[in-house]
Amino acid sequence: MHSDYMLMKGNEAIAEAALRAGCRFYAGYPITPQNEILEYMASNMEKWGGTFIQGENEIASMSMLWGAAAAGARCMSSSSGPGYDLKQEGISYLSSYNLPAVIVDVMRYGLGDGEITEGQDSYWQAVRGGGHGDSRQIVLAPASVSECAALTYEAFHLAEKYRNVVIILSDGAISQMIEKCTLPPTYEHDKDKFDWTLTGKPRGVKKNKVTNLDRTIGREAADTIMKEKFVAMFENEQRWEEVMTDDAELVLVAYGISSRVCKSAVRQARKEGLKLGLLRPISVWPYPRKAFEKMPDCVKGYVTVEMSLSTQMGEDILLACKHSKPLYGHLTGVRVPTAEGLIEDCKQILAGKVKPVEVL
Amino acid sequence: MAKLEKPVSIIKPVGYCGGCGHGVIQRLIAECLEELGMADDTISVVDIACSYWSLEALDFDAIAGPHGRCAAVATGVKKVRPDKTVYVHAGDGSSYVIGLAETCYTAIRDIPITMIVVNNGIFGMTGGQLCLATTLIGDKTLSSKKGRTKEQAGQPVDMLNVFKNFDVEYVARGALYDAKHVDQTKRMIKRGLENQRDKKGFSLIEILSNCPTNWKMTPVEAAEKVKNETEKVFPLGTYVDRGGAK
Ligand SMILES: Cc1ncc(C[n+]2csc(CCOP(=O)(O)OP(=O)(O)O)c2C)c(N)n1
Ligand code: SF4
Repeated sequence: MHSDYMLMKGNEAIAEAALRAGCRFYAGYPITPQNEILEYMASNMEKWGGTFIQGENEIASMSMLWGAAAAGARCMSSSSGPGYDLKQEGISYLSSYNLPAVIVDVMRYGLGDGEITEGQDSYWQAVRGGGHGDSRQIVLAPASVSECAALTYEAFHLAEKYRNVVIILSDGAISQMIEKCTLPPTYEHDKDKFDWTLTGKPRGVKKNKVTNLDRTIGREAADTIMKEKFVAMFENEQRWEEVMTDDAELVLVAYGISSRVCKSAVRQARKEGLKLGLLRPISVWPYPRKAFEKMPDCVKGYVTVEMSLSTQMGEDILLACKHSKPLYGHLTGVRVPTAEGLIEDCKQILAGKVKPVEVL
Repeated sequence: MAKLEKPVSIIKPVGYCGGCGHGVIQRLIAECLEELGMADDTISVVDIACSYWSLEALDFDAIAGPHGRCAAVATGVKKVRPDKTVYVHAGDGSSYVIGLAETCYTAIRDIPITMIVVNNGIFGMTGGQLCLATTLIGDKTLSSKKGRTKEQAGQPVDMLNVFKNFDVEYVARGALYDAKHVDQTKRMIKRGLENQRDKKGFSLIEILSNCPTNWKMTPVEAAEKVKNETEKVFPLGTYVDRGGAK
């Protein structure tokens, strides 16, 4: 169990990494394709001396989380699709209370009950919508089982660094695939280390009131803290990976499961003399704008590769490149893209036979 | 007669309306905690509604459990700080309507917290709308202007008849309309807190209160209504006492 390498599922890697990161409170409600996270926590949390609760719904699970976070614990919840909708109430409140927590969204495709399979059409919801009100959450998108572990581990650190919610944005494919996973070391979190937590203090000691920040320090001061936090997160936390972008004519932009296909497409295309590159955002908020600033002049356009109907991430690409290059979309909806399909599309684009994205 | 000392845990006058039961309840909680020697290790959870004032009034570490979620928030706090006293002070709308699932499952899990629910038959904080669980048939509210009817909103429910079916430590209902009942209610709150001190399970104390402002009554008329009408639908007394009376 404590070896540093294991063959495991993406979901299990998230759960194991959370425990190793000192997460000692998990509350969640079953929904496919993230059930293994909940089940892993149910089986293993006790060994680590923490609390696992299967909530009566996603809203209650989130509410438990904000109690646990306020009391000083490292805590996590996870969900997907319709369940993630319900988590948004809690995300908004945790944000307004300045509380750290890690929330996992394993995207499933489709509106309403949708599918239980992989998809990437909850991108907007994750990167734009923490819930009602003005808040930002760091959103990290793993593309491998090892990265599920590494990013989850880091998410707890980031959550505390900014006293903010951090979201792990996975998808059905990454969460269900089994790979060799490098596991992080164990970290013991001290629930008494912060001076802002609820500890139940004796008379004479100043008490902590955990509520909407503006109620305790005033609207203006609260807004200032929030704004400074947004800027700091935006400046410091942009993460990405590049593959052969130096001399690329077309740069594919993709995260999560789509980016893995793009990686093989780039390698295959290069063998045919087609100059493709890949830019993979690892943080989808803050979006890696710095990566776009240093893209070479030879780039003729960007291709957003997403499992959605709308070019959800495409908006961010255009903003990041300041509309300097045309944007093309390879949007596969419920299907995982194929390297062959992608290469074919890119040939058409380079031949001038494809129009840039019309509807964002 | 000895002068009644104000509990030292009350540190700030807050904005309850005159004659409202919330202030009495807040004071009873503070008195009980101090008399039991438990005031030094308490964390309170209040609802975003009228009980929110108590977050500021009382000198405890406190968290607001946004409307309806208090029991779940308290669960999170208690699990991380099992040695501390965690109590909830919330309205009937919060605990029995929007947050019924949270309150029920906290009871079903038998989480060792003390939950104090203020049954004032109305949504106080939002200005006086119908409370599905507790507004009496015939009572006029902003969302039942001709008086509540069963056709419109069903019957009010004695939720303690629901909670008494769960395997919990203590379920009781008190009232505040005279000194005798305030005293009885205080004993119930104390019992709920002692249970927590003694590492026993979930305690729920519902308190028949009033909302003179939104009932559009004087405090005396409001007290009379509780005595003559509310109590008939919501009988006082102990519904569950797992450990047996002391
Ligand atoms: C999700 C949500 N819905 C509605 C509200 C608005 N709201 C605040 S308090 C309240 C009702 C309060 O009534 P009750 O819980 O009975 O407490 P009281 O004020 O009577 O003590 C409502 C509807 C809210 N804050 N959040
Ligand atoms: S609105 Fe009603 S419940 Fe709220 S403080 Fe005033 S009287 Fe009390």
